[in-house]
Amino acid sequence: MIVNIFTLIMLFIAVLSCVLGGYLFYATFKTLFHFKKIVPLEAKSKFEERGYLIFLLACVALSVRMFAWPWFYFMLQSFVSEVPGAMCIFGVTRVLPDTVTFLQIIKPISFFIMGGWLLCYYVDKSIPTSPLARKNLLLLLPICGVLLTDSIGDIYYVIHMKPLMSVSCCATFFDTPLRPSAMIPQALFGSDFQQALFIVFYATNIILIILLFTSLSRKWQSLASLPKNVMLYSQVVIAVVNIPIVIISFFENIGPTLMQLPLHHCIYCFMGKGIVPDAPVILGLFAIGTFAIGWMVILHLICRNGETQVVTEKLLRKVNGLSLFCLLAFIMMVTIHLILI
Amino acid sequence: MTKTFWIGIIIVLIVSVMGVCYQKYLSTHHCAYDGCAVTAIYEVDIVLKDSSVKKFCSIYCATQWFKKNIQLVDHVIVTDEIRGKKIDSYMAYFVVSDLITNKTNNNRIHAFQQRQHAQTHAKKFNGSTVDDPFEIDE
Repeated sequence: MIVNIFTLIMLFIAVLSCVLGGYLFYATFKTLFHFKKIVPLEAKSKFEERGYLIFLLACVALSVRMFAWPWFYFMLQSFVSEVPGAMCIFGVTRVLPDTVTFLQIIKPISFFIMGGWLLCYYVDKSIPTSPLARKNLLLLLPICGVLLTDSIGDIYYVIHMKPLMSVSCCATFFDTPLRPSAMIPQALFGSDFQQALFIVFYATNIILIILLFTSLSRKWQSLASLPKNVMLYSQVVIAVVNIPIVIISFFENIGPTLMQLPLHHCIYCFMGKGIVPDAPVILGLFAIGTFAIGWMVILHLICRNGETQVVTEKLLRKVNGLSLFCLLAFIMMVTIHLILI
Repeated sequence: MTKTFWIGIIIVLIVSVMGVCYQKYLSTHHCAYDGCAVTAIYEVDIVLKDSSVKKFCSIYCATQWFKKNIQLVDHVIVTDEIRGKKIDSYMAYFVVSDLITNKTNNNRIHAFQQRQHAQTHAKKFNGSTVDDPFEIDE
């Protein structure tokens, strides 16, 4: 185990969320098992207290867990100097590669579903009768599972991380002519794919921003005269298509250009080395902007209830605004960098 | 669109302009030959007889400068592309291969601390080992 402030905080977060998540899973399961739509008056206060405790615990555990995603990369960056041969986070990921890959996949997933649950809880809390309590409790069970898996993965990784092996530099992996990030656009657009990829990157992002703006502005909405559901699902489709486009563009075009290293395609060097100091902000804005569209779908599917309609609509507009802000800021930041660099 | 939204956008714009300024003027060393940003993994340091150091972005730039200023040079330090360690050029193994490290000057020369790494690289990228380009005749 490498002991530094980053691993200690990570371990603290993981142990705390593991304990809270374990208790939460048990309490949620128990409450769901005894869940009654009509509670006798004498048991009402006890029932409410238990429910309140579970939701409060869930809010604390999930918020702490969401913080673990960016912190994980801070921790990996702190290991760079400890691992022989590592020049960036990529080198660190070569030690315990399966665990790191697993953690890198599960962290955004848990961030997304936990964010979605917190929004659903916000809707439920805004209504005195708590009409979504059962749905939220049901949803909390798989989320507890993800939370526990993520926490245990973190604990396992931090404890077993020993910088005993020598690793290779990212250039030998990312800068080879047969790298996957180049093969996919090459297959689609031919060998001179850089320009086409740039156009597709801007096109999908701008369409997404226009759609988000349209659903937010009543004037544009009436002009477009599209049903709300069609608008939302078209946003989701474009957002999903946009994810691989942005990732490949960052590997092939934007990352190397912004780093001023036209032949270096390492995304870890881009985000962690400080070559582009605001790179984590750029990537964070994209992640939140895209996740917010998914959160809108979760709200739309789970919180569409007669009682919660008004609150859900208000929150949907707020999340829509958040997504629009993040994606607009993301594309503006990338453009400013490309122009000024 | 609320006022907060536009204030947020303005803040983000300021952050990105500051990021570019930092990147351009404050953060990186610039190559003493062509002014490009120097990446740690490809850095070449030429130590002069007066103990000052000239930093270069690639072996290509360093050799170009070296050829013209050989009389000023004390020794040359290159970076091992595998481990990022700085080593004296006379200890390094050099490979010319198809892998370009810098598009602006088409540098194809790579430095390695270990012979095995140099051979693996040469095999993988259709290269061949070459002599130390920074040899100083005594």
